[in-house]
Formats: sequence, C-alpha cells, structure tokens
Amino acid sequence: MKVSLFGTCLVDVLKADIGKATVELLEHLGCEVDYPEGQICCGQPTYNSGYLNETIPAMKRMIDVFADSKYVVGPSGSCVYMLHEYPHIFKDDPVYGPKAKALAEKSYELTQFIVEVMGIEDVGATFNGKVTYHPSCHMTRLLGVKNPPLTLLKNVKGLEFTELPQKEYCCGFGGTFSVKMGRISEKIVDEKVEHVKETGAEYLTGADYSCLMNISGRMERLGVPVKVLHIAQILNSR
Amino acid sequence: MQGKVQNRDVFLDKVAKRLGRARKMTIEPPVWKYNPQEEYLKGASRDELLEAFKTNGTGVNCDVTIAKKADAPKAVYDSIKALGGGPIVTWKDSRYEELFGLGKLFKEQLPGENIELFEWNHTLGRENIEKANTANIGITISEITLAESGTAVVYSDKDRGRTINFLPENSIILVPKSSIVPRMTQATKIIREKVKKGEVLPSCINYITGPSKSSDIEMKLVVGVHGPVRVKFIVIEDL
Amino acid sequence: MSIKTKFAGDKFKVRVEKKVKDSFMRGAVASATDTINGRKNQLTAEMGNWEDWRNHGEEIRKHVLENLDYYLHQFSENVAKNGGHVYFAANAEEANKYIREVVQKKNAKKIIKAKSMVTEEIGMNDSLEEIGCEVVESDLGEFILQLDDKEPPSHIVVPTLHKNKEQMRAVFERKLNYEGSSQPEELALCARKVLREKFLAADVGVIGCNFAIAETGSTTLVTNEGNADLVADLPKTLIVCMGMERIVPTFEEMDVLVGLLTRSAVGQKLTSYVTNLTGPRREGDVDGPEEFHVVIVDNGRSNILGTEFQPVLQCIRCAACINICPVYRHIGGHAYGSIYPGPIGIVLTPLLDGYEGNKELPYASTLCAACTEVCPVKIPLHQLIRRHREIIVEKEGKAPFSEKMMMKAFGLGTSNASLYNMASRMAHSVVKPLTKGDKITKGVGPLKEWTDYKDMPKPNKERFRDWFKKHKGGNN
Repeated sequence: MKVSLFGTCLVDVLKADIGKATVELLEHLGCEVDYPEGQICCGQPTYNSGYLNETIPAMKRMIDVFADSKYVVGPSGSCVYMLHEYPHIFKDDPVYGPKAKALAEKSYELTQFIVEVMGIEDVGATFNGKVTYHPSCHMTRLLGVKNPPLTLLKNVKGLEFTELPQKEYCCGFGGTFSVKMGRISEKIVDEKVEHVKETGAEYLTGADYSCLMNISGRMERLGVPVKVLHIAQILNSR
Repeated sequence: MQGKVQNRDVFLDKVAKRLGRARKMTIEPPVWKYNPQEEYLKGASRDELLEAFKTNGTGVNCDVTIAKKADAPKAVYDSIKALGGGPIVTWKDSRYEELFGLGKLFKEQLPGENIELFEWNHTLGRENIEKANTANIGITISEITLAESGTAVVYSDKDRGRTINFLPENSIILVPKSSIVPRMTQATKIIREKVKKGEVLPSCINYITGPSKSSDIEMKLVVGVHGPVRVKFIVIEDL
Repeated sequence: MSIKTKFAGDKFKVRVEKKVKDSFMRGAVASATDTINGRKNQLTAEMGNWEDWRNHGEEIRKHVLENLDYYLHQFSENVAKNGGHVYFAANAEEANKYIREVVQKKNAKKIIKAKSMVTEEIGMNDSLEEIGCEVVESDLGEFILQLDDKEPPSHIVVPTLHKNKEQMRAVFERKLNYEGSSQPEELALCARKVLREKFLAADVGVIGCNFAIAETGSTTLVTNEGNADLVADLPKTLIVCMGMERIVPTFEEMDVLVGLLTRSAVGQKLTSYVTNLTGPRREGDVDGPEEFHVVIVDNGRSNILGTEFQPVLQCIRCAACINICPVYRHIGGHAYGSIYPGPIGIVLTPLLDGYEGNKELPYASTLCAACTEVCPVKIPLHQLIRRHREIIVEKEGKAPFSEKMMMKAFGLGTSNASLYNMASRMAHSVVKPLTKGDKITKGVGPLKEWTDYKDMPKPNKERFRDWFKKHKGGNN
C-alpha cells in the first residue's frame, strides 16, 4: 500500500523520533512510504489565530504537494483534522475547492488509517510498562477518531493500560493559546498532570505531539517522572 | 380586553431586513425531521406508566402513595397527619368528591378533629392568599401527570388558586391514575388540542416536580426555599 | 449593570491573574461543574437518543430564527388577545423607559424580581432604583449577590458559584442582622422568611422568559425554587422581559426545548417548576397579575441575524458550554468581565457590546470544541470563536503589531520552501543560548510565555525530513 506521510512541522523540527517511528511502523505493516518534499505546515497556527489570509498560501501548498498521493497519513489528529477543514475554507474557490475536498477524503490520522483502512488491530508490538492515554480534542471531537488508538494499544503485548481520569478535558495547549494565555494554559495542564499522576502510569501517550509537548513540558518543569511517548513510538516497539 | 402592542412594525421590519427579505405574514407550518420525544414509554400500559411515575416522583422530600379509590380518604388523611395536620387549604372543586370521595373527610372528619380546612372562595379576594400563606398543607389535583419526570400538571382557575401550590409549607397533589402520560410531550399535545378547538387556556399552567429547591449555596441541595418543603403525590386508582 | 460587569475595568490578564489565585473559587467551579456534567451525562446516556434530541432542538431553533418576524408578530397578537400588553424595545434605553413608565403609572415602589439575564443585560435594576424603587432579587443566589453590594453573577445558572457559605453568612450578618450558622438550610430559611414578606408586599413583579409560545401568546418559566411563580402570582402588575429570540412556535416545541434545557443546565429531567403564563388573571381570579406586560428586547440581537453569527441566537441559556469549558473551569465567570461568561459569552459579548474592551475574550479559548460538542442546540461555538479572531485581525485591525508581524512571518515560512528550510535548519543553533541540556527553559519573544511555565524541547539536530532522505537512500 502506497502511503504519503504528512509528517507535520512540529515533528520535522522538534521531534524527528516520532516521524521515524511512524515511517518504521508503516513500513513494518507493509506500506511503501514516501514523504513529499514540499510539505511544510498545515497552517493551523495562523488559521486558528485569525490570520486566514496569511494561511491561504500554506494550505494551497499542502493541497498541491499531496495532489498525486493515494493516501495521506499523519501522526497527528489535530493536523489531519486541519486538512479536513480545507474544503470548508476553499468552498467558494473553483480551483482549490475540489482539490481540497479530494485531499480531505484521502487524509487519515495514523491509528485511524491502520485500523480503518488497513484493517489491522494488532501491529505486533511489544511494550512493557503501564501506560495511560490522553485523547486529544481535535482528534476525538472534530476528526471523530476515538477508538482506533485504544484498539491498537490494547493489543500491544506487555502493555498495561490504565484509563486517564477526566480524559476528555483539554490539556490546555490550544495552539497559540499556550503562548498568548500561558497562565491559564498552566492551570489547565496542571489539572491534566494531576490526573496523569493519579493513574500511576509510567508512560503517557497520545496521538498528537502538540498536546504531548504541552503536558510533558509541564511535567518536566514540575519534575514529574512520567515518560511521554507518541503512540507511534509505542506501536513501533518490538 | 384586548391589550396594546407598541413599536412592533419598526422592530419587525428591521428583523425582516436583517434576514434579507420582506416581512412574512404567513408561513408553511414546519415539518420536523426528528421527533425523539415521541419514543419515551411509547405504547406503555397504565401500570407501566404508574410504575415509572412512582419511581421518578420519589425523591428528596417527595414521595408517591398509591391508593384504591375506596381508600383515598384514608390515604389523604394519613398524609395530612404525617405532614403535621392543619391548617389546610383546598380548591373549590367538585372533583375532590367525584374522583376521590373526599367530601366527608373535608366537610366532616377534619373539622370534627379541629383541623382547619379552608376552601378557596374567589369572592373573598385577598383573604384566600392570606389563608394559603399561613396554611400548613395545600391540596390540589393534577390534570395531567408525567411519568418520565414525576410531574403534576396543574391548571389555574378562579376557584383553583395558583398560590395553593406555592405558599403552604407542604403540598399534597392528588393524581388520578388515568391522568398519567409518558412525558411532557403528551401533555403539550393535550393542551394544544384545546388551543386548536378554540378553548381558552388557563392563565397559568404549572408543571410541578417535587418541592421548591436550590443549590445556590455551595451546590448543596436545600429544599423548601420559597415554596413547599415537602410534596406528596397520592395516586388514586380510578381505572 | 449592563453586559460589561464592574470587573471589566481591569485588563483581561489582570482579571485572570486574580482569579487563578482564587483556589476556593476554582475548586468550587470544578466540583459544581463536575456534578452538573455528571448528572447530565447520566441522563442523556439513559435516553439513548440524545443526538436526535439535539438535532431536533437545532432544527426548531433554526426555523424560528429564519421566521422570527412572523413568530414575534403572532406571539404579540396573541398576548394582546389574552389581554396582555407588548412593548418592542429596540435597545436597553427603550426597554427601561417603558418599564419605568409602567411602574410609575402604578405608583409602585416595591419591585420583586426573578432571575432574568436580559434584565441584567439592560441594567433594569439600576434604572428602577434611580426613580426610587426598591428592587429585590428573589432567586436565592441573586438575592445573596444583591445583598453583597450587587456583586455580579459568575455563572448564568448558578450565579453564586464563586462564593462559599461563610462569605454568604457574613453578608447575611452584615445586611440582615443574621445570627445563625453558615448551614445552607439555615441561610435559606432566613432568605425564605425575608423574601416571603417581599413577595406579599410587592407592587410589581418582573420575570424573565425561557420560551415564548407564539401560537398562544404564553410565556414559559423554568425554575427550581418556585420564586418566579410567586413573583408572577402575587403582585398586581407583572412585567415579563425577554430577548427577542426566545420564541417557539407552539407548546409542542416548548416541550422539546424545556427537555433539552433542564437536562443540559442542571442535569434534571425537569426542574421543580415549569410554568406557562397565558395573559393576566381571568375574571374572578384572586391570584395572578391584573396587568400583564411583555417587553421584547432587541438590544443588538437583530444585527446578528443574517450574519455568520446567527447560530448564536439559537442559544437557550443552559450554560452547558460554560460547565464543560476548560478555561472557565480555571478562571471562573468574573474574569470574563461580561454577564455572559464562558464560550457562549465569548461569542455573544462582542456581538452585543462591540469589540471594544472585549477583544481579548475570543482568545480565552483553547478551541477544544467541547462547547460545540455539548451544546443542546448545536451552536458551532468554537468555530464562531475562531471567526471572531479573524474579524479582530482582519476587519477590526485590533491585533497587536508584534503578533501580526510574527503571524505574517509564520505565514511566509509555511508557504515558502527556501525560507522554511533556512529557518528550520537554523532552529537548532539559534535557540542554543536558551537551552539547558536537551530543552529550552528560558524562552524569549513568543516562547517566553511558554517557558514561564513549561519546558520546551530543543529543536532536532537533524530534521525529520533530512533523516527520511537518508533512510530512503539507504533502502534504495
């Protein structure tokens, strides 16, 4: 199966390990992965900050870059949801409207792709440790992907899963919210950190690096010794 | 008497203009795609409805007693005693006797025991309210009763004062079993049928679900904030 | 009071700073909203068809807004037919002027009120006090706030959410010479006694309206305390204040919306009291008002019609979005500086009151969309919040210059490959002075607000895309 990786800019610049794990996992599952070189960012940071005009070129670029791909798969529910937002943004554009729709229809979050498209529920991973999972807001509420990551995690050998209390609450990241309203973001993430501690988990995982960066950034500052891994990294453990 | 309407046209012209069209004086009645409210206890039997009402009508300072028609006077009497006796206010309503056989209780037994019972009498004006305000118990009758929420629907009338349900410390609401419907959906349909037939609606319709309550102080439930502290539903098996 | 509360004078960040330090308030908000949300979730799960309920609620509200002029006309005709009077008020001034006239004609001095957000919005109490009236709030929470030197509500359903019982006791002691304990039952009993006298003595009652039924000219009130009924039943004159969008076609749609409201607002199948009033008392009636007035308030609402913000008028004021909002949870209602806090307030306040003084509000959201998911009438709240940001940036030109420059730069960097390549390759060495081990702990510029509270990973030495090229090269 030919898959184009939508790597996301955060992973490219800040956490290459997640990209590597994603590629290795997909290849292990038999996919032929390419990484269209021209991709940069889905444009969500500017778009959600109200800078639509400044976002249009970035979005058009992404639409063009993935025009020939059969499937577009990304290790981030939020960024993939942004691709699904494109058809609404370009609905009145005769050229980019249909292209945006085509992109949205073939774009999947990583775990969604593995479970819903490839039909795989056990990736053959082994990971020893007690793990809790933060379901990120955009992925669950906007993209509508709730069960695939849980299905995959529960089939990982050696993994002890523990549910995160009040898991549906936002972690306080919110894109530019975290740098515009840092004080509120701190309070929100503190509550999330408390819940993570309550679980007694050794690892926190999730399918959105941005949320994980937010929670781990706070846990590191507070000296909370819970390790944070992207779900691709756990699923790629063998 | 016809009331006055002021400032309407300039106001509604603006509304229509903002909606990008001329004023609408007629519309097609809406046809809804969804009607989930019809599903609750659809096709339930009288006994199932009563069972649901009993479950949902029971709560903090609120309970449901079920009595056969012949036992109604005793059930009401026991409730009055349990709630501390008089003074009592009732509507002026022939159904107390016709549906529940309470004539003797109200006219003979209670006065005989020196339990004061005042019957609403609109010709006395404000005195009715003073009586209700100092009463221990108000006794009214449910027109329609909602199983889903444990709710009595009460209509006002000149002989059926509204405030009997609000001013006394305690409330007894008599519920004919035949009046129980699944939920508010059926009640509003009954009310709407009256409207369609051109009947005049009561000036006040109260849907009463338990005692007056508030959680405004640290989210702690307090009952009896303004109105009744306790509500007792007595269902009479009239069928 | 008006839409802006007395707290709005401070800058948003100052308000936030005060509130995040109020650990009692934050604890109270968290536990209260958890309780309400828990009850609500249990009820809606039991129903099994809650999504259909939401869809139905949405279609009713959309239909009403599309035909609002028709239904308001029908409603007012029927109120008048029942013998009530209707006044259409374009703004707060007109509404207050009419209410004062009604009160003055009756020579009334004693006004008793039930909770109504629209009377807060138009500042009715102040307007009546100016002409020498005593205005008493009868909802327990509002009564306490009014006694406490008119403190603004911090929540639209539970106005006292931010206050503890000791504070309440102190207010009662100061204002009512209360000597009892801080037990909620005892405090409530004290309020009951005081307010019972006020109900009986009042000349004019003022209530709000949850739903106005066009077909019959009836109003609907939803309460747990029963205070609104005493306000409606005892004084000889009753004034019902309603926002112009509170309309439903018939009793049948009222049923649906009441079901959505009580579940979403307080997690109850029905509140203790739901009341339909149809005109003044009838001939021979002893209770109920002799005079029945309905004041229908626009006050900026019609300007929302026909715009992309129209869905906000679907709102039935249940506060479910407030109860689920992670930001509200940590800053409480007062920080918003508006009588309408939380997501609904963020959307509504700038529309009714303008962007001036409110332009920070749309940024007080993580756009997590919990509000949209929970809304019983499916208002796309998070999308409307984002849309406010666009307007602030593009039409109003009110975004800070430095942010604009940054966003422009980001926009360029994410659409121009050579710029991106240069910046992303340099990132690792550029931030070096800020790093400690493998993380950034003291950021500058936009990073500062992050690193004030959280560590940040250091950029990769090797970008993912450079690794991928090598990885593919190796495979080939």
